[in-house]
Amino acid sequence: MTKPGDQLLFSTVKRDYRPWLLLLNAAVATTGGLLLPAALAGAVDMALSGTFVLATIVFLLVLAGVEILGDAIGIILAASITARATAWLRRRLTRRLLTLGHPSPFAAGDAVSRVTGDCGNAGSVAVTVISLAVTAVSSVGSVIALALLDWRLAAVFLVSAPLAGYLVRTHMRLTADDVLAYQEVSGEVSARLLDSVSGLRTIAAAGIADRETNRVLEPLPRLAAAGAGMWRTQAKMMWRAGLLLPAVEVAVLTAAGFGVMEGRLSTGDVLAALGYAALGMGIVGQMTQLTVLERTRASAGRIAEVLDTPAPKRPAPKPSNGVIELRHVSVGDALHDVNLMIPAGTFAAIVGSSGAGKSTLAAVLGGLSAVDAGEVVGDDAVGYAFERPALLGATIGRSIGYGTDADEIQVRDAAVAAQVHDVLIRLPQGYETPMADAPLSGGEAQRVGLARAIIRDPEVLVLDDATASLDTVTEAKVDKALTTALPGRTRVVVTHRPATAARADLVVWLEDGRVRGTGTHQELWNDEDYRAVFTGGE
Amino acid sequence: MRFYLSTLAGHRRGVLILLGWSMLEGIPAFFGGRLVGTAVDQGFAAGDPLAGVLWLLAFAALAVAGALGQRQVFARLGAVVEPMRDALVTRVVKGVLNDPSHRRTPDASAVAMITRHVEVVRDATAGVLVQARALLVTTIAALIGLATTAAALIWLVVLPIVAALLLFGLMLPSLAKRQRDAVMADERTAEASGAVLTGLRDVAACDAAAEAYGDVAKQINLQARATVTVAWANSLRATVIAIGGFTPVVLLVAFAPPLVASGQLTTGAVLAAVVYLTNSVNPALHGLARTTSTVVMRLMVALKRLQEAAPRTGKEIGTEIPANGEFVLRDVTFGWSPDAEPVLRGLSLDLRPGDHLAVVGPSGIGKSTMASLLTGLMPPDNGCVLFGGAPVDRVAPTVRHHAIALIPQETYLFTGTVRENLTLLAPWATDEDLVDAVKKVGAKPLLDGLGGLDAALGHGGEGLSAGEAQLLALARVYVTSAGVVILDEATSHLDPAAEARVERAFAQRNGILVVIAHRLSSALRANRVLVMDGGKPLLGSHEHLLKTSALYGQLMLAWDPTHRKETPLPKR
Repeated sequence: MTKPGDQLLFSTVKRDYRPWLLLLNAAVATTGGLLLPAALAGAVDMALSGTFVLATIVFLLVLAGVEILGDAIGIILAASITARATAWLRRRLTRRLLTLGHPSPFAAGDAVSRVTGDCGNAGSVAVTVISLAVTAVSSVGSVIALALLDWRLAAVFLVSAPLAGYLVRTHMRLTADDVLAYQEVSGEVSARLLDSVSGLRTIAAAGIADRETNRVLEPLPRLAAAGAGMWRTQAKMMWRAGLLLPAVEVAVLTAAGFGVMEGRLSTGDVLAALGYAALGMGIVGQMTQLTVLERTRASAGRIAEVLDTPAPKRPAPKPSNGVIELRHVSVGDALHDVNLMIPAGTFAAIVGSSGAGKSTLAAVLGGLSAVDAGEVVGDDAVGYAFERPALLGATIGRSIGYGTDADEIQVRDAAVAAQVHDVLIRLPQGYETPMADAPLSGGEAQRVGLARAIIRDPEVLVLDDATASLDTVTEAKVDKALTTALPGRTRVVVTHRPATAARADLVVWLEDGRVRGTGTHQELWNDEDYRAVFTGGE
Repeated sequence: MRFYLSTLAGHRRGVLILLGWSMLEGIPAFFGGRLVGTAVDQGFAAGDPLAGVLWLLAFAALAVAGALGQRQVFARLGAVVEPMRDALVTRVVKGVLNDPSHRRTPDASAVAMITRHVEVVRDATAGVLVQARALLVTTIAALIGLATTAAALIWLVVLPIVAALLLFGLMLPSLAKRQRDAVMADERTAEASGAVLTGLRDVAACDAAAEAYGDVAKQINLQARATVTVAWANSLRATVIAIGGFTPVVLLVAFAPPLVASGQLTTGAVLAAVVYLTNSVNPALHGLARTTSTVVMRLMVALKRLQEAAPRTGKEIGTEIPANGEFVLRDVTFGWSPDAEPVLRGLSLDLRPGDHLAVVGPSGIGKSTMASLLTGLMPPDNGCVLFGGAPVDRVAPTVRHHAIALIPQETYLFTGTVRENLTLLAPWATDEDLVDAVKKVGAKPLLDGLGGLDAALGHGGEGLSAGEAQLLALARVYVTSAGVVILDEATSHLDPAAEARVERAFAQRNGILVVIAHRLSSALRANRVLVMDGGKPLLGSHEHLLKTSALYGQLMLAWDPTHRKETPLPKR
């Protein structure tokens, strides 16, 4: 049964020569490991005979050396193979997700878990398969070795081992319920902590931190109870597992004992039998590796799903000197048959109640996202600013110049134009402050986002509610600065504010994904429904 | 780390019980080799199969006892690990909620990280208790067993093991460092890809796929390299342990022949010695190496992270008692760091009961700083903020928290009934008080819609709109006896009419009302207005400021360019 990710796993293994090295190394080390109990038996017999034989000791030393060295090389090779495969998958996946662009068919959190979690799982495929193969080979080899000592030993082992293995397996399922209960309560504590953390200022100002700590910790006794349950179940499992190896060992030892008595086996051979029994039981411990392999395949499937998603077709936008035209544009449930013409240099406002499709329209007309039907004729130089910008890049300064090769002076100029320079120089390290250490409010982040749009000197500027968190005076300042910094550019603004709509040359009024009306704010103001967009219908 | 150890020490009884059961677990290791040796020596090799089988059955019985011990160890593990986890969670939650730096609040991902690290500490502690304890018990039991059967060879066995353990101990610091680097590289990879993948829209808007890919790929490659570096260290460690474990076996067989020949060692003793080494000591040594390199390192990293998330706070508690309910601010200056421009400069202001102050100004200029200074959450860098004649941050907390109430923009609602949420700050309030407060702030329809005071709220007020959540937060403060109420953009999600109603309701309480304004219409209702614009703050009545301040006029003009009148929003 092949899964969609199997092809991907295959090519992951195939692109590197190291798995072959690991296999070779494993072959040598396993051979050494299989010969070792016999060599040890020989050495013990030698010791019991009372005469020192150099060759026997040297043979034992060489085999041990081969095994130890093989293990050491194996650790490094395995890590190197997994790390390389993981990094390769991560790079491929990241590149693909970036190509798929916005809006992504995969939710951000999901995409991150595919890059961090699934790639790590899938990257270990070669090592998992090889270690499974090695365990299988050494288990089979042990049984053969037992048979070579005495066929009765192998028979006893083959009867007792599967029985013991079955005992362990049936109890793997027991923990699931406890784990679930534990995770639920743990999630409840986290949710309560998140509540309190969101209200940290209220808590601090009211001095009720201790009381709220108790509130968060209320489910703790249940958590401890669930945890204790987990340990009890695990204790049962350990009990069974703890009996497993001794049971098989006693069976094999008894058989070996009779062998000694009847002269078929030497005393050293008893040791060898013990060693081979332990080695043969290795496959029981490796049962979990089968689950790991299944997980690996599932993860590969999730990666392949992204890699196999076709990128949406985006017609290459040509320079159009700032004119934007939409013909019969539809996007999913958001927009239906939208026709629109925004002349160059126009200040257009897109208004409508929430859910009317404003942001989708803004994304489509600048070529940020693809359309399902219809045609968009737009410019190739579009600057975007958003209500909640994701500011990327190492430092706050770099987040403004993101995706460009702008120098410090250009970054500063853009920040000045976006009315955020005064804020940024007040940060602990000014423009060099790392993004993670820059405590920006919603309004400040919006203005940094504006600076990021301004620095690209676009023909068309699309502001998707990008000044929503600014107070009116700052918004007016930003507005004026934009006109000065980017004179004569087409500007499309998604807004909730009447004052902004009033300043626009053209208002596009959206309702349920369709254009309800176009015109100036004054013209549209006579319509009661239009006024309701701003006043909330009071 | 010290906290962690002291917590474990606090459960000494549990740990001791654990060790007690470990003794039982160690029995097979102690007798195992000897019994196998005897079974061959006096049973099978001596031609007495019954004795051999009986000795082996004794071996089996001991194994059962050992497994029983192991079972008890695991069952008792909960009694040590779970209370330790409880103590850890309590301390972290307390630390987070008492965090004095209220500037950067941890978000959902930070809370998720805290949860994850607590789980790591729990699992790792259990792992260490199981592994390290097993190692100790097994090795000691096996070595004693060995000493009693083959005393002549004991030094050949002990010396290589001790040497390997010493060498291993010397290697630990560098191993730890590499492991830590790898964990950090892991986190940075997750951060980099998280930032880019949650910001795909912005990457597309900036046409920055190449730069975004470069940033993420760099972290991915560094992470891969860090993993391989750790593998080298692990490989070296495994080699040292493997050599240390195997050398005694070789020495044993090499030095045994003369002793056997001279009759000092019996067949059974040699057999027993080898069984002790291969079946007990070696597995325990390998377990130790595995535990230290992975589990202990994960434990250390998680503990360090938790400590960063919840720093221990050593805040001094003020004891001053204010003489009255008046605020006096003199020459107050405040900045986030000595190098940065101050957000507030030379502010002087008096507030008396009945005063209604609106704070207006451009966003990001530090209006919320005013709220933090007035509530005593932060002391000013220069100047003083006096409440009833005492510096407000030195006022006794119980007095201060009852006298001054702050409603921030981000609402705090928790899972529980509406009543529990509303009585958060005034546990003594009756249902009539609550309903009255709810009516005053205009939240009666909301309360009825929810189903009354007994209605349950979800996490973070799930299902409520931001405006509805703010109404509940406002009612919660209205019901208190606070003489000073500070609304820090607390009505930002209400419509203008609802906002006006709330502000009027609070103004009628005759205490001090400070409104950090989201809309400028708030200024029209106040009897004094403070304009903050980064320079020297301006203070006066609305009319006075209109006449004297260009900035204030500009603010008003920008508010409504089409009407030029002081109407809050176009009316139909």
